[in-house]
Amino acid sequence: MIQSLFTPFLFQSTAQAITPILFAALAGVLCGRVGVFNLALEGQILVGAFAAIVGSYFGHSALVGVAAGMAGAAVFSLILGYGATIFRGDPVVIGIGMNLLASGLTAYLLRVVFGVSGTFSDPNVVGLGRITIPALVSVPVLGWAFGRQSALTFAVWALTALISVVLFLTPVGLRLRGVGEQPAAAGALGIDVARYRSVTVLIAGALTGLAGAQLSLGAVSVFAEDMSAGRGWIAVVAVMLGRNNPLYAAAACVLFGFADAIGVNLQSHGLPSQLTDIAPYVATLLALVISHRRRTRASLRSRQSAPATEREGQRVGATNSPPLDD
Amino acid sequence: MSAFSSALKLAGDRLRIPPVALAIGFAALVGAALILVSGHDPMSAYVEIAKGSLSFEALPDTLNWATPLVGMTLAAAVPLRGGMVNLGGDGQLVIGGLIGALAPLFLPGHGALGATVGLALAGLGGGVYAALAAWGEVRHGVPMLISSLLLSYPAIGVTSYLARFPLRDVSTGLPQTLMVPSDARLYVLSGALNVGSLLIAAIAIAVVFVDQRTSAGYELRMRGKNPHFAKYGGVQLARQAVRTMFASGAIAGVVGAIIVLGSQFRFIDGALVTPAYTWSGLMAALLVSGEPVGAIVAGLFFAALQTGGFAMQRETSVPRVLTLVLQAIVILFLAMRRGLGRRT
Amino acid sequence: MAEIAAAGIVKRYGGLIANDGVVLSAERGEIHGVMGENGAGKTTLMSILFGLQAPDAGEIRVRDAPVCFRSPIDAMAAGLGMVHQSFKLFGSLTAWENIVYGAEPKRGPFIDRRAARDRVAKLSEHHHLAVDPDVQVGDLSVGVRQRIEILKALYRDARILILDEPTAVLTPPERDALFAVLKNLASEGRTVLLVTHKLHEVTAITDRVTILRDGRTVANLRTADTNAGEIVRAMTGRNVNLKVAKRPLPPGDTLLKAVDVTIASPSGKHVVDHVSLTVRGGEIVGIAGVAGNGQNELVEALVGLRNSDGGSVEICGRDVTDADVATHRAAGLAYIPEDRAAVGSAAEASATDNLAMGFHRSAPLASGPFINPSAFAERARALIRRFAIRIASERTDVGTLSGGNLQKIVVARELSHESPALIAEQPSRGLDVGATEYIHEQLVAERDRGRAVLLVSAELSEILGLSDRVLVMFEGRILADLPQERANVQNVGLLMAGRGAEAG
Repeated sequence: MIQSLFTPFLFQSTAQAITPILFAALAGVLCGRVGVFNLALEGQILVGAFAAIVGSYFGHSALVGVAAGMAGAAVFSLILGYGATIFRGDPVVIGIGMNLLASGLTAYLLRVVFGVSGTFSDPNVVGLGRITIPALVSVPVLGWAFGRQSALTFAVWALTALISVVLFLTPVGLRLRGVGEQPAAAGALGIDVARYRSVTVLIAGALTGLAGAQLSLGAVSVFAEDMSAGRGWIAVVAVMLGRNNPLYAAAACVLFGFADAIGVNLQSHGLPSQLTDIAPYVATLLALVISHRRRTRASLRSRQSAPATEREGQRVGATNSPPLDD
Repeated sequence: MSAFSSALKLAGDRLRIPPVALAIGFAALVGAALILVSGHDPMSAYVEIAKGSLSFEALPDTLNWATPLVGMTLAAAVPLRGGMVNLGGDGQLVIGGLIGALAPLFLPGHGALGATVGLALAGLGGGVYAALAAWGEVRHGVPMLISSLLLSYPAIGVTSYLARFPLRDVSTGLPQTLMVPSDARLYVLSGALNVGSLLIAAIAIAVVFVDQRTSAGYELRMRGKNPHFAKYGGVQLARQAVRTMFASGAIAGVVGAIIVLGSQFRFIDGALVTPAYTWSGLMAALLVSGEPVGAIVAGLFFAALQTGGFAMQRETSVPRVLTLVLQAIVILFLAMRRGLGRRT
Repeated sequence: MAEIAAAGIVKRYGGLIANDGVVLSAERGEIHGVMGENGAGKTTLMSILFGLQAPDAGEIRVRDAPVCFRSPIDAMAAGLGMVHQSFKLFGSLTAWENIVYGAEPKRGPFIDRRAARDRVAKLSEHHHLAVDPDVQVGDLSVGVRQRIEILKALYRDARILILDEPTAVLTPPERDALFAVLKNLASEGRTVLLVTHKLHEVTAITDRVTILRDGRTVANLRTADTNAGEIVRAMTGRNVNLKVAKRPLPPGDTLLKAVDVTIASPSGKHVVDHVSLTVRGGEIVGIAGVAGNGQNELVEALVGLRNSDGGSVEICGRDVTDADVATHRAAGLAYIPEDRAAVGSAAEASATDNLAMGFHRSAPLASGPFINPSAFAERARALIRRFAIRIASERTDVGTLSGGNLQKIVVARELSHESPALIAEQPSRGLDVGATEYIHEQLVAERDRGRAVLLVSAELSEILGLSDRVLVMFEGRILADLPQERANVQNVGLLMAGRGAEAG
């Protein structure tokens, strides 16, 4: 069984499963770096997926679909961009609200625009298509994973590298990192914190749009209600595990993508999908437990206020709940 | 949109419109635009919502729909009162539902006793599952906000598997368990209303009472206002978190069992999760930061909105999922407006 | 021509007038002291000069040109630099990243790291501000962080440098080094505005001093022509006596005892290093020390907010080592925390609820698991009367209260426990003279009732004025245990700097 599990197909579906999660995780990393806790990834992906389908259907082109996905998710992310900066709303509440809004709005528009409920597919929707790299296809592992994939599957890794370079080697990156850690200090040095935040959230929104486009136009050309199916939440965890570092977050995504792909593979061995579908979540939970277990031991149990970013991430309603333990 | 909502805020301050009313007004406007997009008349759609939820004939339906929704509102409000968020209501709901469906089938005990045992075990199951997330946070530092949600997926997956395979009622061809014996079903009061509604009302009263009149409620409220203060004052935060989450999960579990024993009479895969009681309840609780009385009112309001949504879809063919959008807009609007007030 | 001049500055916050026609003028190359008690309006004035807040009225001129700063960016462009009391640094970034932040040297699209590091190294050498450019700031001591803040301003070529209470966090040797740097900067033609409320600093280093009281400029003196008495009178309008009258009292039983308490930081360093102490009934034991020498961690271990890595704690003879707060309190400990807003109270809760904490599980406020709301309110009203707390009603949220009244809420609650042992941490920080005196009287009254009081304060005068015994804490250790008669500003000051041998 093990042998029949580690097939080229497993690596292909791993690379495929990673793509949307990693796009969303990169978005979460960017938001986290500027101190905006983004819990809305799930909803943003969904909006991106729907907008991509709409774009592809009416534009008769996958490219238009991808552009529409990015634009749609970016516009949607304005709620977080403005809500968490200018309006100083609670990012947790805004995130939860946005996820619900995305779920309701896409379901509503699905009925209004296409007149169907549940799922929508149509020959007019142009999928992304796969790029085949003949030289790579037969190379074990790497070739299996990347020999034949959608352009977005390649793009996500290029973006991971690009975002890492921007964050750690350029002035803009330095400023972003500072804005998240000590907004007051950044502001005192002439950085327009609100602007950095809202622009970053907007760009992150476009990234989640790519995640959505990969979902609805990547492997299959179909939109289903709530098709993000928890990927945004897994991305949130990847951001946490990766501590806002794009490379670490990518590593976490690889783990989850692999778990997802194994789940899918096990299905073809006769395991019911209801059980195999939970594989990435179980992997995510285990990763969380293992990583935090080590961290709790070392962390100082201080009563001093948590840093602003951390606190902001944990605020709910008008209340303040930094991590505390007895 | 920002300029528009600032203008609304200004108008609100001048005319002293309460923020909640302002939020509902704003949501109604956005909703009207969405209805227009679909080619229908917003006014008639809203009239249908009102008629379909608040008219004399519709009221029992609204109350019936409100039973699980207010229940899940309470499940969300209890931890929220202490500044904690339980995003795992769906998982606790299905666990409670499945236990509620199985207990009368497989445990000895007839009639009301079977139902009571089912409800109690459902509460226990949901409570333990929710407490697991709290335990993970206090013991291992895994943030409850995320772990409670992630725990939902395995719960939903496993219960779905059980209902589809080992426990399936093969005679129906649908993914559902066997019917519970008719004597173990909840006593019907009239029409669609059953004892479950009274049970939720009793839980609501209990939550309000604990909040206002017990030391535990006081400690939870203080934690919600400032956890550092609570800890400094001697509140044992870890134990409190586990207990609070247990209570929250227990309510969710009981709600699951009430739906199963009161209206569906079996565990049907997806039937507890699809109506999104958990999320509507969480919204209602967030609306008032977990203050129980306000949360109950908000839960009733959302229940009316959703019940009216059915009538709207029937009469005007505007998709009823619009009501979910309206709810989300209300909460987003309030989250931002509250932020405005906090700004100084 | 004045380098910087402010005239007629007015700033109101609601009903409170923080600045009421303030006048200030400093010459090029001058070290100019800005003095005043807490709440005199110093910090408000500096915020206005640096563009953090807009004045309601008044004019600011830099080198005779009228300016209107809408933000610190404008102020920096005009050649101002500010070192805030609480540093504004990024802990996860390196020293050089902190310094060049927002004005990075570039090569192509990238930061020119070498150029950045070189410039920082040169600046640091030129101004004798020793800083390793590549160290992560989060790991650095307060003194080094302050040097980085000064370098940040100098990197932007600040001609006018504002320092807000820069010595509050420094040991005496660090302070002397800072003063040498400031003198150097002045000799280069830069202007230094030194905000402080410490008399000896003004006389030691400034050329002139502007004194604020109640939001007004009350004096502008040439330091060489004045004396300490004149400055104090200008600041307070009266002669103050910090000594509190205490009657001699034979010490009673040991009520609070710590043996070899040790706390390690994540890096393994001993933040608290085998600290032993005893406090007996009827005495106030003061722990003196510059902030950040382990006092916070020690107190957290003593009250049960943190586990220790070794040692034991006893309250009224009961071993409470590593037990939770509730156990400590039950054993007989009350605690006035350092941060009354973040720890000592819940801003969005009413005075009733704030005053009930700790009493909510026993009669008369509770019976069994139930609480009695009218008993809650009654108790709150009684305490508000007894401690003369100025609050609209017991239902008012305490977030609306002034610092002094909020502290009274905390003190009222903790003292009404009538616990045998009391720990008071920075009890008068940020309070005006009247509130400070009141708190001090309460602490002495506790002592006179035979209770054990452990006072932790960075304010040396408070320690010396109240304590029967003085412990000095430095780098996690207790360096000395001095009876009141043998403790004075000189020897405790030296001990606080870690120079035990010289203190004798």
